[in-house]
Amino acid sequence: MSHSDTIPLHPSSQSDIDEIENLINASPATVLPARPPSPPRAQIPVSSSLPPPPPKPAPPKPQPHSFPPPLPPPSSSVPAPPPLPSSRPEIAASGFGPAPNTLTEPVWDTVKRDLSRIVSNLKLVVFPNPYREDPGKALRDWDLWGPFFFIVFLGLTLSWSASVKKSEVFAVAFGLLAAGAVILTLNVLLLGGHIIFFQSLSLLGYCLFPLDVGALICMLKDNVILKVVVVCVTLAWSSWAAYPFMSSAVNPRRKALALYPVFLMYVSVGFLIIAID
Amino acid sequence: MDPNQPVTENYANPKTCFFHVLFKAAALAFYILSALFIDNFVIIFVVTVLLAALDFWVVKNVSGRILVGLRWWNEINDLGESVWKFECLDQESMARMNKKDSWLFWWTLYLTAVAWIVFGIFSLIRLQADYLLVIGVCVTLSIANIIGFTKCKKDAKKQFQQFASQTLASRFSSTLSSAFSVV
Repeated sequence: MSHSDTIPLHPSSQSDIDEIENLINASPATVLPARPPSPPRAQIPVSSSLPPPPPKPAPPKPQPHSFPPPLPPPSSSVPAPPPLPSSRPEIAASGFGPAPNTLTEPVWDTVKRDLSRIVSNLKLVVFPNPYREDPGKALRDWDLWGPFFFIVFLGLTLSWSASVKKSEVFAVAFGLLAAGAVILTLNVLLLGGHIIFFQSLSLLGYCLFPLDVGALICMLKDNVILKVVVVCVTLAWSSWAAYPFMSSAVNPRRKALALYPVFLMYVSVGFLIIAID
Repeated sequence: MDPNQPVTENYANPKTCFFHVLFKAAALAFYILSALFIDNFVIIFVVTVLLAALDFWVVKNVSGRILVGLRWWNEINDLGESVWKFECLDQESMARMNKKDSWLFWWTLYLTAVAWIVFGIFSLIRLQADYLLVIGVCVTLSIANIIGFTKCKKDAKKQFQQFASQTLASRFSSTLSSAFSVV
């Protein structure tokens, strides 16, 4: 006679099963195996990410039997990017909350964003701002378009002013400025300073803006005294613009070591401007 | 299978593909033809480098997004460190990407870099330092894009694998818990 089906379970095992059932019914999410909280995607950027993240393995709701929810909203489809209201004028470095999806924004938004970034970088770097907060923080959103345009413009102006050997002048100016920016950055890095390579390149390029203006004026007016005065003023302006960033990047005792080559480079460019005829 | 169905898909984004190729081809063509017709190095330099820079921007910001759903950029976080960010569409959308589009994207990327390197070798042989400057800039831009997108693709693959293994784990555990509740 086997009464196995009517034999009550051992009290302890019954309570074990009860425990497990309570756990499941109470908080299903916790029953799941220990998985990392969310895929540590490298792309949870402060400024842009995917919109509601793609189907997570278990939604944080008590649905133990549900499988991943359906596809995210059709914002990530292929043929024609729907115009999401996504772009902000500049990428703030502290964007918490729903960040815009830059993957599917319309092209015009990208263009506008980049253009406004150039303008804001220029204002930040070059124009006098006595209330500037942490100078090392500006140019967080570095970009190389501004420096590119300024270097090319300076080369073009110098080349135009030259009456002979125009191509050499242009090539020399461009090479000097580009290589100079790289070498100056390396200099700061080798002095033990904390600066990011592209940020520094970007900065040194933007600080050429005053010299560009000076070169333009010198090209239009050929008076030597005027040239000297203009070059001195713009040189001072450029060095003054570069000073806060460079000095905040290095050890205070090595400030001069970092700043002197920058000044030297701008002086040499100034000489080029004056000497071109 | 319907025999009348077109077997090959067409380009899904013909305009984007066109622009993707346009600036690359324009830069290369201008460089080649200018050596024949234009005597002024400055113009060659400025126009070629400008076209190459525009191409870099278009590939990075527009065609990368639309043709292959990838994007990369660099940010400086609050600690002052430089962080490279990679972004991709989710897996279903990536799987739906037009094969022709992505084939065109990657192949033109590689071919352009190879073409510039070949021109660079020619310039080196002829010892033209100033043309080497132009080519140096164009090669740098092409290679930057290649590296950026390759890293982005690898990162995307890694995430999809992670996601797949997590989905498997969660499905397994939810099956288990449903089994438990039935018991």
